[in-house]
Amino acid sequence: MREFLSNLRLLRRMNWLMLATICTLIAVGVLFIYSATQTRDDSTARLFQMQLKWALAGLVIYLATTVTDYRKLRDVSWWFYVMAVILLVAVLFFGTRIYGARRWLMFLGVGVQPSELGKLAVILAGATLLSPPAEKYERIPSMWWLFLLAGIPMLLVMKEPDLGSALVYAPLVMAMLYVAGAPSRPLVLMVLSGVVLVTVVLGAVALPARLGVTPEGQDRFFRAIRLSDYQRDRIEVFLQPGKDPMGTGWNKRQSEIAVGSGGLTGKGFLKGTQNLLGFLPRTVAPTDFIFSVIAEETGFAGSVMVLVLYGLLLACGLYAAMVARDKLGRVLCVGIVTMIFTHVFVNMAMTIGLVPIVGIPLPLVSYGGTFMVMTLFALGLIQSVYVRRSGL
Amino acid sequence: MTEKHGSARYFVLAIMLSLAMTGLAVRLVFLHLGAGEQSRSMSSKTRTYKETLAVPRGRILDGGPSANILAANVGAKDVWADPSVLIASNKVGVVASQVAAVLGLNPTETATLMNQERRRFVYLARYVPDEQADAVARLKLPGIHLSDTTTRSYPQGEMLCHILGFVNHDGVGSWGIEQCMDKYLKGTPGLLESQLDGRRREMLDRRIQEIQPRDGADVVLTIDQNLQYMLEKSIDAAMEKHRAKAASAIIQRVRTGEILAMVNRPGFNPNDFRSATDEQKLNRAIGYVYEPGSTFKVAVIAAALNEGIVTPTTMFNTENGRWLYQKKVLRDYHPYSQLNVADIIKKSSNIGAAKIAIMLGDERLDRYLRGFNIGSRLGIDLPGEEGGILAPASKWSSISSSRIAIGQGVAVTPLQMLGIMCGIANDGIMMRPYVIKEVVSPNGTVLVRHEPQALGRCIRSDTAAVMREILAHVTEPGGTGTKAAVEGFKVAGKTGTAQKPVKGHYSETDYMASFVGFMPADDPEFGMIVVMDEPQPLHTGGIVSAPVFGEVAEQAARYLGLLPPGPAIEDRSAIASQARVTP
Repeated sequence: MREFLSNLRLLRRMNWLMLATICTLIAVGVLFIYSATQTRDDSTARLFQMQLKWALAGLVIYLATTVTDYRKLRDVSWWFYVMAVILLVAVLFFGTRIYGARRWLMFLGVGVQPSELGKLAVILAGATLLSPPAEKYERIPSMWWLFLLAGIPMLLVMKEPDLGSALVYAPLVMAMLYVAGAPSRPLVLMVLSGVVLVTVVLGAVALPARLGVTPEGQDRFFRAIRLSDYQRDRIEVFLQPGKDPMGTGWNKRQSEIAVGSGGLTGKGFLKGTQNLLGFLPRTVAPTDFIFSVIAEETGFAGSVMVLVLYGLLLACGLYAAMVARDKLGRVLCVGIVTMIFTHVFVNMAMTIGLVPIVGIPLPLVSYGGTFMVMTLFALGLIQSVYVRRSGL
Repeated sequence: MTEKHGSARYFVLAIMLSLAMTGLAVRLVFLHLGAGEQSRSMSSKTRTYKETLAVPRGRILDGGPSANILAANVGAKDVWADPSVLIASNKVGVVASQVAAVLGLNPTETATLMNQERRRFVYLARYVPDEQADAVARLKLPGIHLSDTTTRSYPQGEMLCHILGFVNHDGVGSWGIEQCMDKYLKGTPGLLESQLDGRRREMLDRRIQEIQPRDGADVVLTIDQNLQYMLEKSIDAAMEKHRAKAASAIIQRVRTGEILAMVNRPGFNPNDFRSATDEQKLNRAIGYVYEPGSTFKVAVIAAALNEGIVTPTTMFNTENGRWLYQKKVLRDYHPYSQLNVADIIKKSSNIGAAKIAIMLGDERLDRYLRGFNIGSRLGIDLPGEEGGILAPASKWSSISSSRIAIGQGVAVTPLQMLGIMCGIANDGIMMRPYVIKEVVSPNGTVLVRHEPQALGRCIRSDTAAVMREILAHVTEPGGTGTKAAVEGFKVAGKTGTAQKPVKGHYSETDYMASFVGFMPADDPEFGMIVVMDEPQPLHTGGIVSAPVFGEVAEQAARYLGLLPPGPAIEDRSAIASQARVTP
C-alpha cells in the first residue's frame, strides 16, 4: 500500500507535454470520427461516442501503467507473449470473418484484434530478452532469438491475412536490436535485403513484360510469394496512379483528392465534401482514412498540425528512452516509439499516395477500441519509464 | 557495448524518424498547396452531372387560311455500329456488305468505317427512313444498332426552299427561316445539372440548375401557299418557254408589306440540302443585285413629278430615238420625235427619262432614290438580303444621272424594285417587307407578332395617285406591258429589258427581262415583280415577264376576292358571287 502511494507521487514527475499531446490527438480523433460519420443514420453514427469511451478507458489504463513499475514486466512479459500467440492462433479458427479475413475475436460482445496485442507482446518480450538482469549484463543474446520471437506472431498475422499489420513487426524489431547494441553489419544487411525484396515484388507487379516474364510466369511468382490479387491490385494502383480510378484505384484517388482539395485551411469542420458525399468510402473514413477527412476539412494547416503532434509524441518517447535508468526501459521505449511511428508513417503515407494502400490505423485518432487501449497502454509504459528515469 | 555507443544510436534513430516525418510533410505541401487546384477541379468534376432532354423543333406554317405545314419533324433512325464487337466477332466483311446493300451505301466504305478497332461507336447512316431502318433491324446483325431521332421534313419539297431554308445535321437551322428563327424553332432543351454522391445518386439539395424542356415554337409566315403555288407554276412554265437561266418573283401586299409569295429559280430540295449548290441556295429575290433597266424610270419620273418640275403632259423632245449627250449616244428602242411624260413611261423612252433626270439634277435624284430605299437594305426578316448599289451623287460622272434614269449604273434586288412600285401604290409610304407573321409557342401563346411598319415617305400621296394613273397606261393598248393586263381590272406596272453588264460593257445577247406592277391600279391590293435572267431568244420584259404577271395576277385577284371596278355598287355583290363560282 505504501509502495502504491509512493508510486502515485511519481505521477507528478510524468511528462505532462506527452499527456497533453495524447489528449489532443484523442480529441482530434473523436471530432473527426464524428465528422466522418455525421451523415449516417445507422448505429455507426455513434462511433465517436464509442471512441470516447474507449479513450477514457485507455487513459485509465495509461495512468495505471504509469504508476506501475515497468521492471515488473520481466515477470509477466512472457505470459503476455504466450497469451497473444494463443489468441493469434485462436483468431485463425474462431475469428469473425470480415471481408474475407479473420482478424477479430469476439469476447462478451467486444471485438478484439489479437494482431494489435501481438505487436505489444513482441515489444515486451523483446525488451525483456534484450536486457537481461544485471549480473549477466554484458552478454547479449543472439539476435536470432528475437527474430524467432517476432517471427511467430508475424506469420500468424500474415495468415489472417493482414499483411500490413505483419509488416509493422520488421521495423520495430530492427530498431530494438539497434539500440540494444546489436552489431551494425547484420542489421544493415537485413535492411538492405528487405529493400531488395520489396523492389523485386514491386518490379514483378509493374514490369512483367519488360522483364520478359509471361503473365503465367507472373501468376506463378505471386502464388509462390503468396501475394493475393487485391494486394497486387493495390501495388499496381500505387505504381500507376491513373489506373482504374473507378475501381481498385478509387480509395487512393479519392483520398488524394480529399487531401488536395483541402487547400491551405480546409473546407471547414463537417464540410468536407469528399467525406460527406461518400467519395471517401464510408466504411474506412473513420478508421484507416481518418487523416484524409482531417486534411480535407482543416487543410494544410490542420494536417501539418497533426503531423507535429505525432512528432512531439515520438520525441517525448525517444527522450524517455534516453533518460531511462536501465536498458529494459530504453529498449522498451524505442520499441513502442518505432511501433507508433510505423503506424503513423504508413497510414499517412498511404492516404497521401506515398505507399500502397495497407489497412493500418492512425494511433489515437482512427476509430478502433483494441488499438486505442493498446496504444495508451504502450504510451503508459513509456511514461512509466520516464517517471523512474535516472539522475533524479 | 557501452552506454555511449547506445546514446549515439538514439540520435541516428531520431534523425531517421525525423527524416521520414519530413518526407510526409513535404508530400502534404505538394498535395495541399501544389496540386490543390487540380484536385479541387477533379473533385467537382467527378461529382457534377448533366443531363439534357431533347425537344422537338417547331413547325413552319404558311399564313393562308388552312395554315399549311411547310416544315415539320418526322421520326427517323440513325444506324450505327460498334466496331469492337464486329472486329471481335470477325464479321466486318459480311455485316458491311449486308448493311450497305439495305441502306444503299458503298460496301467498301462501310467496312472501313466498321474496321476501327479502338472505337465503340460509329455512324453508318443518319436519318434513315423507317422502312429502311426496319429492314436493317430484321437482319439482326451483331454490333449494328438503331437509335431514334427526328429529321426535318419539308412536305412541299422544293417549294419555298429559299424562304424556309434547312436544318443541318447538328440540328441547327442553317438557311432561311430555319436560320433566322432558330432560337424560337429549336425550343429549350431540358437541362438538369446536379451533383452526385459517392454512389452516383443525385443529391436533390445540391441541384445546380434545372431547366424545364420547352418545345420549339411554330413560325407562321405571311406567305400563302396557294399564291406561292400559282407563282411557282407560272415561273416554271415561263422559264422553260423562254429558256431563262434563272428567275425571281415576289408578291407583296401593298398596304402592309407582307410577302405573299416569293419564288427563285434555280431552287433545291431542302430535304436533300447537302446536294444543293450555292447557286441553287441563293435567294435571288432579296440577295441578287441586277441593273433594273427601264423599270427604274418609274422612280425618276415619280421624283420629277413630286418636285413639280414636270407634269404628266409636259412634252419632251425625244430626238427620234438617237441623242448625243456629253459625247455619248443614247438610243430608244422605238424612235419617237416627241413624247409627254406619261408616254415616256408608257413607251419606255430612254431619251425622255434621261432628260427628266438631268432636269432633276444629281443631288435631288440621289435624295429621291435613297427615299425609295435604293442602296440600303429594306430589312426583310430573312437572312441574306442585299442593299443594292447606288454610288453617292458626289461620285457621279456627268452622264451618270442620264444612265441611272434608265436603270444602268445602279443595281437593285428584285425586292427593292418591287419596293419602289409598292411605295407608289401605297400613296407614297414605303413599307418594310416581311415574311414572318407570328411565332406561336406550343401552348398557343404568341411570342412574336410582326406588325406592318412604315419606313418613310418616298413621294407625296397626290404624286403617287398621278403615278398610278400613268403606270396604268403601260398595260393598255400601245403600252409596253399589255400582256400584263387582267381583264376587268386596271393594272399598273412597268416593263424592263436590261442588258447585262459583262466584262465592262453591256452584253448584246444577255438580258434581264422584268415586269413590276400592282393591281388594282386605283386601289392597289398587291404588287408583284417578275425578273427573268437571260431569256433566249425573246428577251424583252413585255414579252417574257409581263405575261407571267398577267397570268398570276388574274388568279391572285380571284383568289384574294378582288372585285373588278363595276359601274354600280349593287352589281358588285353579284359579280363577286359569280367570281367565286367560276373555277
